[in-house]
This record gives sequence, C-alpha cells and structure tokens, in this order.
Amino acid sequence: MDQFFQQLINGLAVGGIYALVALGYTMVYGVLKLINFAHGDLFTIGAYLGMTLFVGMGLAGKAPVLVSVLLVALMVMGLVALLGRLLERAAYRPLRKAGRLSAVVSALGASIFFQNAVMLIWGGKYEVYPETMRPSVILSLFGMGVPLIRLIIIGVSVLLMLALYWFIDRTRTGTAIRAVAIDQSAARLMGINVDRIISLVFCIGPGLGGVAGMMVGLSYGQIDFNMGFSYGLKAFTAAVLGGIGNIPGAMLGGLLLGLIETLGAAYLTIAWKDALSFLVLILILIIRPTGILGERTAEKL
Amino acid sequence: MFQSTTGAGRRLILKKILMSVFVAAALCMLANPAVAGTVRIGLMCPLTGGWASEGQDMRRIISLLADEANKTGGVKGSRIELVVEDDGGDPRTAALAAQKLAAAGVVAVIGTYGSAVTEASQNILDEAGILQIATGSTSVRLTEKGLPYFFRTCPRDDEQGLAAARVIQGLGHKNIAVLHDNSSYSRGLADETRALLDKAKLNIVFFDALTPMERDYSAILTRLRASSPDMVFFTGYYPEAGLLLRQKREMGWNVPMLGCDADNNPDLVKIAGTAAAAGFMFISPPVPADLSTDRGKAFLDAYRAAYKEMPQSVWAVLAGDAFNVLVEALRHAGADSAAAAAYLKTGIGGYAGMTGTFSFDAKGDRVGDLYRLYEVNPEGVFRAISE
Repeated sequence: MDQFFQQLINGLAVGGIYALVALGYTMVYGVLKLINFAHGDLFTIGAYLGMTLFVGMGLAGKAPVLVSVLLVALMVMGLVALLGRLLERAAYRPLRKAGRLSAVVSALGASIFFQNAVMLIWGGKYEVYPETMRPSVILSLFGMGVPLIRLIIIGVSVLLMLALYWFIDRTRTGTAIRAVAIDQSAARLMGINVDRIISLVFCIGPGLGGVAGMMVGLSYGQIDFNMGFSYGLKAFTAAVLGGIGNIPGAMLGGLLLGLIETLGAAYLTIAWKDALSFLVLILILIIRPTGILGERTAEKL
Repeated sequence: MFQSTTGAGRRLILKKILMSVFVAAALCMLANPAVAGTVRIGLMCPLTGGWASEGQDMRRIISLLADEANKTGGVKGSRIELVVEDDGGDPRTAALAAQKLAAAGVVAVIGTYGSAVTEASQNILDEAGILQIATGSTSVRLTEKGLPYFFRTCPRDDEQGLAAARVIQGLGHKNIAVLHDNSSYSRGLADETRALLDKAKLNIVFFDALTPMERDYSAILTRLRASSPDMVFFTGYYPEAGLLLRQKREMGWNVPMLGCDADNNPDLVKIAGTAAAAGFMFISPPVPADLSTDRGKAFLDAYRAAYKEMPQSVWAVLAGDAFNVLVEALRHAGADSAAAAAYLKTGIGGYAGMTGTFSFDAKGDRVGDLYRLYEVNPEGVFRAISE
C-alpha cells in the first residue's frame, strides 16, 4: 500500500508538468484550431532561460531561495510569453487566411528553428541547474519520504491551472477568448479585437509552458535542447486525451496520463510504459473520439 | 555504322573515346579527391546530441595528435589530413556520415562512441574497404561479425561483465537488481552480468529497462525499492545514472549503486549533485588523470597546454590511441587499408600507447584487461579504489 501511495505522488508530479504544457496546446487549438508544434520548444527555452537567469543574476546565496525562484519564474513567464507573441506574429498571423495545413507546416518549421537555435546558443551538451537553487528537502508523510519539490510541482501546477480557469471563465477578457474560440467573425462584430485576443492566447500558453520548463529544470536538474520533444509529445497526448480545446480537459488529461504512465510502470511493465499510455489513448479515442471532456461540435458545411 | 570508314567518322570516334577517357578521369578525381602527398583519415564522432561532450573531446585530442604526427613526418612523407564528420550520437546520422567519409576518400575512420551508432556505420565502411577503429563501442557483437577491417581500442562488454560480476561478488552482496536502458550496449552488459551472477548463485531480484532521455525515474526507483536489493547495478549512461542517484536520494533510499564505464563522465556528479553522487561506484578503464604510462602523462601535459583543461573522459583518450595505432600501422604498411589491417593484427604487438600497451586479436579486439573500480568521493571526485 505504501508503494501505491508513493507511486500516486510520483504520477501526480509527472502529470502536473504534462498538464501545464498541455494547457498551451489546448488554448491555441481552442482559439485557432491550430496545433502549435513549437510549444514543446518554447518549454525548452523556458528551462534554459531559467538556468541562465539563475546563474547570470548570481542570485544564489543573496536572496532567499523562494523569493529568487518566484522572481525568475515571473521573468521566464514574461520572456517566453513575448517569444510566443513574436512567433504568432511571424509564423502564424501571415498564414491565418491560408489553409490549415500551411499553418501546421509553419508550426513544424518554427519547432525545428527553435530547437536548433537553443542548440546553437547554449550548446548541445546537457546543462545542469545550480545545486543551491534546487530544494532538496524531504518531507515525511505517513511514513513515506516525499521530496518537497514534488509537492511544490503538484501545488504550482494546480494553482496555475485554477487561476487560468478562473481567468477564462470569470473575467471579461476570458469571455472574449471564449467568444473568439466559438466564432471569430461573430466575435469581431461584437466589438472584440480578435488579433489582440489571439496575441494574448499566444502569451498565456507559451508563458505556462516556459514555467513548466523551468520547473522541470529545478526538480530534475538536468536539461537539454531536445527535451521539448518528448514532453511536447506527451503533453499533446494529454491534451487530446482530455479533449483538445478544453481547458479542464487538458488538466485532467495531463494528470491522468502521468498516473497511467507511473502506475503502468509500477504494476505492469517498465519497458512498455509508453506503449501502455498510448494504448489507453487509443482506447479512449475509440470510445469518445473527442476526448474525455471534449464536446461534440457539428461540422459546418 | 558505315560512316566509321570515312575519315570524318574516324575522327568522331576518336573524339568520343578521348571525351569518355577525360570524363572517366574527371569522375575518378571526383570520387577520390585525396591529392597525392596527403593521407586522409576520417573521424566520426558525436559533435552534437546527448554525447556531444565526448565527441568534442575526441576531435580536440585527435587534431592535437595529428599536428604532432605531421611534425614528425606524417605517413611516409605524406601529410595527414583529418576529415571530421558529426554522427550526432544517432545511428541514422552515422550511416550518412560514414557514406560522406567513404566518398571523401579516407583510408581509415576513427570512431565512434556509442555501440548502436558504430554498428550503423560498420557495413558501409567495410564494403568501401575502409579500416575502422571504434573508440567507445563496447558491445560484443561488433567484432563477432567477422569484418576484416574493424578494430576497437576499448574493451568489450563481456570483459566488463566479468569485471562487474567480480566486483559484486567481492563486495559480498546477495540480492542484486540489474537495470539497463535497452540500448545494444546496455542490454548486452546487463545480460552478460546476469548470466555470470546466476552462475555464482546470487539472486537477481530485479531485471528490467528504463527509457533513456526521460527526466522522472521515480516510478522505477519505487519499484526497484520494493524488490529490496542489496545493490543496484545500472548499465546505462551517465545522464540517466545522475538522475537515478539524485531521485534515489530524494526518496531517502540508501542502497549502494554500481555503474559501468558509460558513467565515467564528471557531468554525472553535476547532474546528481555531490551529496547524491558520493559513494556511487562504477567500473571503468582509468579516468584520464589516472593514466600511468609515460606517453599518457606527456599527452595530458600537451593537452592541458593547448586547451587549458583536462579531457573529460577516457573514451576520448582511447580515440587518441586509435589514432596513434593507426598512424603506426600506416607508417609500416603504407596508406592501404588491407595492409594496415594486417599489420594491426600481426605486427603491432607491444606498441606503447597512452592507455597502455596494444595488441589486437584476430577479431580486432584489443587484448588485455583495462578495468578498475572507481568510487565518487564525498567531494564529488572520481577516485580509483582498485588497480
């Protein structure tokens, strides 16, 4: 039983990261019906920016760890959001009137561009977050050793997701985002600045992805230019699992995927755990093609 | 072809023949652009990707040695020219790199690091009749294929398996967990060691693989812990070993862990953190700082003078030795792959390299045991605890 709870916490920590990254995919898809393949690489850039800021500002030892982590998190969020906005301007806006396939190809190109840019700027080697910035406190919960950082990851993920949900559901701007997602031209007729809303979506999604990258760096220490690929793939799976375009769906899908993966590795087979996760995805898509929380939308003809 | 009897027709034919001779000559020159007076040696190494630090060092070391060899006369008066191709640590890229090197007209190729990557290039180079000396590829089957032009300066996994089994028995542990990463190197070493431990009547309480390049191994560690081993033997590479050590410590689990020669890289300590890495043991050929031969010491001095730091790992130094034995063979046998291969198998015995003396058996494997047991000390430095 101990092992089960330990694995549950492991799974939630893995899933929390997937969920944060999945939110970026799902928001962009919801508004533009576009899968932003460069999202995983924005996540990588978040991880590298976090490291550079920690080292470059020489925060270690000067400010309390929590304060500096918070500070760097905000800066990473801002910088990656800016990058996301630039990406939208350069790679997606010129193609908005073109077919959907052109935008997907443009997204793939952006992904390759970012990945290679990271490799050229920071190098192809593994990079490591400074030791002093990585909290290594271990809490004892019900007789199990649980690293504090895992709980922080789960906590921060849930907090950011709730904040986003509140923002989309309760604020005027959030309502505007939902309106643009449903019908762009109708939203424009209602006096909503669609371009601004889309830019905003491209700030929020990448911002969350960037913070997720930084959290991966803080908790696992090791980052490389290729890390966005596997996290991006898993997060995209999570978004589809929960119902792409649906924000609570991305959270649910992320946490669920983390749990399936971890419990699959714990009780069935370690080497086949990825195959297992994708098998579950296929099964769910057979039963509910729109994902767990996805709504059925009638195709307009 | 009645016209061929006329004078004009004959001239035409002559012109055609001349043209085709000219074209053929041009093609030959394109295919084999090595100018007389230079000998081209290829280096295939991972300059990018997860093993980039290994590849960068390989290039640094070999260009240093090539300069030195050129100063002392090159190969029978010909200058040595180095052709470097990046394999990215990836088998597909390696196949392309091998083809490029073959097209560049190299007489021999040094490299590469990972076994699966080397394997992808083996047949291409063999069919082109190019001598290949691998430097970090320890998978057994690479030399079991009977390829006449393939050699390696590193030991093979079954030697490492023997060393690992000896160490585990020597430490007196009874219940052993074996974890690998499903790559051909890692799986090979794990299988080899398991067979030897079974024979020695030790309990293998766990045998499975993790997925490399991931970040979170806590699920696997929790499962490992439930099998309550006395020692964990991990046969994968240092990025994963570092993460395992760190996450093992975060769980508050103090089981001793033994690694293999793929963990012989100081980045392991950076990834794991000094506290988590301390006490980790691995078996490996000597780290560069422990090289005890005169030639090795002289080389380290030269390297430090040129690059202001030490080479990261022994694999890159073994690449340097691959270059040394290759030049020795070319100097004796001439710039010819077949003659150089024959010389490596029969004539080179006792050659003093940087990592010890060299001779090769009929399969192309280096003869002799290189392995030592290392431990990470509390300051995070690798220290040899056995000769």
